Amino acid sequence: MSDPELKSKVEEIIRDNEVLLFMKGIPEAPRCGFSMRVVGMLEQLGAEYGAVDVLPALEPLREATGEISDWRTFPQLYVKGELVGGCDIVEEMFESGELASMLGVEQPEAATAPEPERLVPGGSQQSPPMPLG
Amino acid sequence: MEVRRLIADALPGSEVEVVDEGGGDHLRAVVAAPQFEGRSRIDQHRLVKASVQHLMDDGTIHALSVTAKLPGR
Repeated sequence: MSDPELKSKVEEIIRDNEVLLFMKGIPEAPRCGFSMRVVGMLEQLGAEYGAVDVLPALEPLREATGEISDWRTFPQLYVKGELVGGCDIVEEMFESGELASMLGVEQPEAATAPEPERLVPGGSQQSPPMPLG
Repeated sequence: MEVRRLIADALPGSEVEVVDEGGGDHLRAVVAAPQFEGRSRIDQHRLVKASVQHLMDDGTIHALSVTAKLPGR
């Protein structure tokens, strides 16, 4: 059972943000390779999005999103209140152009899903892929 | 391997391939299943993940990436 107060807060945030990313870390400093890749794709598309760092309350947020969306791993991208998916799905949709059209933005030419090293020039801050779960 | 069998049993008629993407607990499952027909991507992934949820819960698997396809495509 998730904390009802947290659950309704999460539902509210999902409702109030047209594009919302639950991620590990913040967009400026993702703390998981999968979150970093989703941020990279949203940035490439120039999409406006809200971001929530799940790390300070990881387990309670897992419980809450498990009940709301039947999905317990992060990152999670929501568009217009619906869970689109995690990194895999976002990547497929990014490459096919579906993500751009869902977000109402232009598909950049030669859109390829960013590898972590392309996001961290010099690689000095690069950390190994971190677990989703 | 067990993960492959769990997914295949949960989705009869599917073709499942599981590759280790690192350390034995970061896995990728490539699944072609007739049950995916007419479902959104997120639902396709839910079907696959549900079949191994207990291994995610107990930490046997840390990360499962899924590539979901329709059979024959």
